[in-house]
Amino acid sequence: MPLSGEARTTRSRGQYSASKLLVSLILSFGLMYLDHKDQYLNKVRSYISATTYPIYVVINAPKNIFLNLRETIGQKEKIVLDNQRLKTENITLSSKIQQIYKLEKENKRLHDLLDSKPKTEDIFVLAEIVAENPDPFKHRIIISKGSKENVHVNQTVADARGIIGHVIRDQIFGSEVLLITDPEHALPIEVARTGLRSIALGIGSYEEIQLSYLAVNTDIQAGDILLTSGLGGQYPVGYPVAIIDKVSAQKGESFLEVRAKPFAKLRNINEVWVIQRAADGAIDFE
Amino acid sequence: MRSGLYSVLLMGQLILNREIKNNLFTWAILMISCSLFVVPLPEFLSFFRPPWLSLSVIFFSIMTPAGFGVFSAFFIGLLADVVQGSIFGGHAMALSLIAYLSYRFHLQIRVFPMWQMMLSVLLMLLLNELLVLWVEGIQGQMIFNYIRWLGIVIGTLIWPIFMAFLLNLKSKIL
Repeated sequence: MPLSGEARTTRSRGQYSASKLLVSLILSFGLMYLDHKDQYLNKVRSYISATTYPIYVVINAPKNIFLNLRETIGQKEKIVLDNQRLKTENITLSSKIQQIYKLEKENKRLHDLLDSKPKTEDIFVLAEIVAENPDPFKHRIIISKGSKENVHVNQTVADARGIIGHVIRDQIFGSEVLLITDPEHALPIEVARTGLRSIALGIGSYEEIQLSYLAVNTDIQAGDILLTSGLGGQYPVGYPVAIIDKVSAQKGESFLEVRAKPFAKLRNINEVWVIQRAADGAIDFE
Repeated sequence: MRSGLYSVLLMGQLILNREIKNNLFTWAILMISCSLFVVPLPEFLSFFRPPWLSLSVIFFSIMTPAGFGVFSAFFIGLLADVVQGSIFGGHAMALSLIAYLSYRFHLQIRVFPMWQMMLSVLLMLLLNELLVLWVEGIQGQMIFNYIRWLGIVIGTLIWPIFMAFLLNLKSKIL
């Protein structure tokens, strides 16, 4: 039955009543309090995240369609060239790996001689970046693997070049990653050349991280490479992080101003590795 | 008598169908804006990202309030919080508040000339952003920067196109 004019304007009033607003405000304040205070809500969040899976599918649809099109229609010569290039790359990489096997054997033998813990091997899980925080000053991303694929809180995320960040919240089909350049992030590092320990802080720019509280007479220079030191137990040892870009001493300041450029391409929208350490219940090396 | 009953039933079914279609349309648009809300963009573009989700909530509260409501806004806010990874309930609070306010004034806003309409949308978006900022501030994660207000200005500027597009799409589909 067609509605009369008045019924038409008033029929949805119930859905916008002040009591409903009050209920949702109280609910959201309660949720915010619980979420901020404790980790009770991670389970709830994890279940709701399962319903957001279609959103990630929609987000990735254009990229996937584009990739598929390029592969099916794609220029044949380019694929052949790619294939050749990859083959040569593969040969060089596998010859390098042979050396690594030798080094790892040797390392293990030396560790055995020293009677210390044998070196273990990390497991890598490939994931894609599916979403990012819309706020340009919050360096957080969502990746496509979650607790369903054994990706859990505190695991390290890296790309082919270096460390990207670590997982701060795992959901079923995805997990949230805090990047090393986020202003809230601090990463224990060591300088490869001198073995100096320090902490690298994010400053909210994708291009640089900062080392604080290094005395003016510290032996550090532009071009030094920073590796994860493994202190604090959060990150595995010895992954490349950044290269020192600029070391400057201000007159009258007691600390150096040190800026470093991360190796990882943090702005790129592509694949990342989640590093699952052997200590987390994975296999031992030999 | 019998044919009268039959026609009433038929009419009821038609209205039901319309309602279902209306709801489907609303939630499809909301899901798409939720995706646009978090889709990864290159750095220079990420400063120009319009607040898609708030825009759609305002649109549905003003133009088609029947298929929407404060609780719907609350729910889509929760989804946005999960997708984006922000504090649980932050966007839900802001969005339910602007849905309520937009509906309160929807009869006026609908007949406003375009510039006044855009002004009201700007106010709603500002309120939304302030609430989100406030929640972040309480949490101790607030990073204040003028660039983050650029998205709101862009959102206001695209409102006429956004509204015309959605109204057009709706009249075509339903």
